[in-house]
Amino acid sequence: MFPYSCKLCLKIKIHCVNQRMFCTSSLLSPLQLPSQMETHLWYILPNEVKSESLMKKYVDLLSPIEKEHVCSMRRDELQKNALLARALICSQVSPRSIEFKKNAHGKPEVCWQHSDDWHPPPLHFNLSHTSSLIACGITVGSPIGIDVEEKQRTMKNNILSFARRYFSREEVERLSAISDPEVQRQEVIKLWTLKEAYVKALGTGFAGAPFNTFTIRFGSANPNPNAKDSAMVIVPLENPSLLSTNWRFAQVELAGSHYAAICRENGGISEGAPMKLIVRKTVPLVEEHCVSEIDTVV
Amino acid sequence: MASIAGSSSLMASLSCHKPNQALSRASNFNAVSLAINGKSFPSLKLHSAPSRLRVSCAAKPETVDKVCSIVRKQLALPEDSAVTGESKFSSLGADSLDTVEIVMGLEEEFGISVEEESAQTIATVQDAADLIEKLIEKK
Repeated sequence: MFPYSCKLCLKIKIHCVNQRMFCTSSLLSPLQLPSQMETHLWYILPNEVKSESLMKKYVDLLSPIEKEHVCSMRRDELQKNALLARALICSQVSPRSIEFKKNAHGKPEVCWQHSDDWHPPPLHFNLSHTSSLIACGITVGSPIGIDVEEKQRTMKNNILSFARRYFSREEVERLSAISDPEVQRQEVIKLWTLKEAYVKALGTGFAGAPFNTFTIRFGSANPNPNAKDSAMVIVPLENPSLLSTNWRFAQVELAGSHYAAICRENGGISEGAPMKLIVRKTVPLVEEHCVSEIDTVV
Repeated sequence: MASIAGSSSLMASLSCHKPNQALSRASNFNAVSLAINGKSFPSLKLHSAPSRLRVSCAAKPETVDKVCSIVRKQLALPEDSAVTGESKFSSLGADSLDTVEIVMGLEEEFGISVEEESAQTIATVQDAADLIEKLIEKK
């Protein structure tokens, strides 16, 4: 029914009671920001969004610059997905009070337009999409990066050549030891999403943290990545003893078709407390339903 | 006072902001005689030297074509789809995984090694081709 799995969860609560329908007159839902301990992951399946009039409403949500960006996409499918991605963010956070800007490295950020007596929440978001799914991670008070890939995605290059080119030696060793080629392919893609989510959370671009300069290690004590107590840590290759535990990871499957990786900073989550990941599927302005709430381990 | 017929247009074309245009107009005058205040000056030979006045050192068309075909293959685009030097990878639908696979393909095809800092600056096919030629030159 809910075809997802999470390697890090201790407790999985499945809720599908939270189904909300929006009437067309109230186009924008009230702000529903995550608490500091939560991470929200929203996703859209573009193939399920077909209504022309709905697409027009999405266009109306955009600023002129964003409209231009959407129109610069060359293929209809790309245009639609670019539009949906922006509608996803704008429908979750009132577009009238925010603008989007890019940081020094090109990472999109929220820029609140506010009056002097209102202190807007430190909202962070990150988008990722494939041709068939668009996802957005939202936190308050902590940088976030997410990445999604289709489970069935094939690599044009040889899997291990790809791993050797981009991953660290420790990671290549772990992946080379997998005997089943299909499982190996899946693990390469999952690891890619984790590393990409981390680099996106850092916000310094691909060159800021080249993939082969750090290892994502699964639970130092237990080499089995499926173990419930496995946690993911960053090991910078320059100084392997300096494990970074500032970052939390989660890996989930979405809609039975995609791997998603989420990475956020610890900020707001007290030591030892679990990060709560809430996954919701949505059609912006129309409906949303909560797919799962997951308590992830440290 | 220059007494060449059409001198003002020649001066105008030499001082215009688009050097290539100036050259294409001036290339009709291989030799020009200037007579100023009755004194005549030796002929000015205008050499067309487009490579010196080009704004950027663009890669060879063959390089651009090879990049286009690697991109088409990676993104599984039909043969007749429009992929040119100006094509932006993001507009063609390449995500980050496609981009690194393309970089890998280019490294293998051209026998080069692309640093992450350089890879990050590539936005269009032309950028990739220019970088490739720069790296080949360095070898």
